[in-house]
Amino acid sequence: MADHAMTRRAALGVLTVLAGGALTLGGPAPAAAQALGQNEPLDAALKRVFGGRPMKDGTGMIKLDIPLIAENGAVVPVSVEVNAPMTPQSYVKSIYIVADKNRIPIVTRVTLTPASGQAYMGANIRLGETTDVRAIAEQSDGTLWALKREVKVTVGGCGG
Amino acid sequence: MRRPAMRWLGLLVLAAGCATAGADRPDYAAVPKWTTRAIPQARGDVRIQPDGRHVAVRYPGWTTRDYSGFRTYAYDDTRPEPPVQKVTMPPGVTGDPRRGRALFLERAKGPCTGCHLVPGDDVWPAGSVGPDLSALADRKLPDAYLYQQLWDPRVTFPQTVMPPWGAQGAFTPEEIVHLVAYLQTLHGPVAPEKDRERNPFTRSKPVGFGDNLDPTNNPAVVRAESAEAAWSRTGPAGKSCADCHAGGAAKSLRGVAARYPRHVPAYNRVMAIEDYLTVHGPETTGHPLPMEGAENLDLTMLVKMASDGLPVAIDTTSAPARAALARGKATFYRRVGERNHACADCHTPDHGANKFLGGRLLGDATAGLTRHFPTWRTSQNDAWDMRKRFQWCMTPLGTNMLAADAIEYAELELYLTQFDNGKPLSVPGIRH
Amino acid sequence: MSETGKVRLRVPSSIKAGDVIRVRCLVIHPMERIERDKAGKIVDRKYQYIDTVTVTYLGKVVATFETTQSVSENPFFAFAVKATDPGKLTVSFHDTHGQTYEGSVDIAFS
Repeated sequence: MADHAMTRRAALGVLTVLAGGALTLGGPAPAAAQALGQNEPLDAALKRVFGGRPMKDGTGMIKLDIPLIAENGAVVPVSVEVNAPMTPQSYVKSIYIVADKNRIPIVTRVTLTPASGQAYMGANIRLGETTDVRAIAEQSDGTLWALKREVKVTVGGCGG
Repeated sequence: MRRPAMRWLGLLVLAAGCATAGADRPDYAAVPKWTTRAIPQARGDVRIQPDGRHVAVRYPGWTTRDYSGFRTYAYDDTRPEPPVQKVTMPPGVTGDPRRGRALFLERAKGPCTGCHLVPGDDVWPAGSVGPDLSALADRKLPDAYLYQQLWDPRVTFPQTVMPPWGAQGAFTPEEIVHLVAYLQTLHGPVAPEKDRERNPFTRSKPVGFGDNLDPTNNPAVVRAESAEAAWSRTGPAGKSCADCHAGGAAKSLRGVAARYPRHVPAYNRVMAIEDYLTVHGPETTGHPLPMEGAENLDLTMLVKMASDGLPVAIDTTSAPARAALARGKATFYRRVGERNHACADCHTPDHGANKFLGGRLLGDATAGLTRHFPTWRTSQNDAWDMRKRFQWCMTPLGTNMLAADAIEYAELELYLTQFDNGKPLSVPGIRH
Repeated sequence: MSETGKVRLRVPSSIKAGDVIRVRCLVIHPMERIERDKAGKIVDRKYQYIDTVTVTYLGKVVATFETTQSVSENPFFAFAVKATDPGKLTVSFHDTHGQTYEGSVDIAFS
């Protein structure tokens, strides 16, 4: 996985820096990198990405900030903070957001470096329905930590 | 408009809005006719197809159902509220509690759970506008009483906000029999609540969407910033906004939006910024700027942002303002539509405000709900002005919407804006 | 939206050398969702959504987001960076139609 990410980074490294502009990147899609998020059931997604590796309970380690109730499923702000070192010897190399009931359960993954200074990420995500949302942190030595919380999704319209 | 009918209407709406003492009596005689300058989807038109079907012309994705059988907000709609109906249960129908429960939860109908909590893990999200019915059957109310309550609750509770479901044809007599059968199964004791969020009486309040003025949080801010380009765009008359309003919107128009909506003597009507642009564009730069068009919305945001941080300061004392406020207040308390609801039913503390309607916490109009419009709506991925928000509310109520720039809406907006006087504008907002 | 590709970036107003700062960015983008036809079958076409977000600071990549259609339209992303030296921080968004959108900010110490 890491090698494919490096290939993408190298390709982007030759881009000219333009503030706010749009560039067309011609040429073939990044070779062989399997898309992170796929239309698949949760179990298949976890198996594919984590291969059945054990996950430790992230309580106390992971701070998952997400509303208990999402006013709509289109825009749900989430942020994750992992209380773990970010040194070259030991750092949090990835944080995943997983939404169990989404058609594409693996929502996003951020890959970090010691230069990040803190294992922190935020994004706004889509939730198809009321679901558990998981934050999974992977340390540089491969240790996995997971924390989940149920997010209820309010359907729109008067009365529901 | 015929004077005697208007006086009758005036008396009727005065009676309806009697809650506040000292209100001026609404006078509709002076209100001019207004030809809409809105985009086609925002005019409130109803088209008659060749096969005779009525199809409402509305925004993409909105229902096209025609509700012309029910009262609207139009000042010349003099139809009375639906008469109160006293009824008895139909013979020969056996109530099926399972069908009744399905009807109770059905979103296309009420849903009844919009206002009432009942047991069940699948009940999400129930509201707290009406009483918790989880142990209703313990009260041993007769079937006939419950039937009448659902058909037309005004017989027992004349001031109720609950719609007269049967009288308005929202449910058939058979369906109401099934609902009664279901309600009669709801015996206590109610199982302890496993999930405090399921129960609207213990549910957490929404946390909102953060800083509405932060461009890394609110897409509407990014959109409004792009509208600066429109400021300098030359129109068909050979001029741009910038030609008269030098220095950009933020400088040249600071303070202006704080005084809107207001009565504009040149047009003898109340106008918000959006309404004003529909006439101001054509008479200056030549840009048409129709109501609910993207340009109108973007420029409105720009003009209002120029007054961000300044207190809302609309005129509420001049004679035209007082007259318009009286009409706007009457509109706020006017019952309309299939649901026979008034704005006040949901948006005043005596009734629904600060309670849950389904999953939505209802805002209190008397606390001021206008100073963040136009607002980004995350569920729509678009910015909406207040008129579109009014129009949206109309379709679930089962009433035909009026044109976005209708005087009725402008005066209702004026009435609502007075509750924000003294509070700082903060446009654009960000909401669900 | 015709504003697709507009990027806004925010860093703290006062940064000292060595601070770990949090950065927020927003990009206007449709993040097209999977459509289904009337029969419920997925409409097969190349949906346009952001698939990678790359954060570069002082010429080095410090963070990369791999993103999907489960991320919202007009998404924001937030991340941390240790501000070691003054210099440029760039966030680059790449989408499935081969477009790239960028925003930059100069990290300066006060």
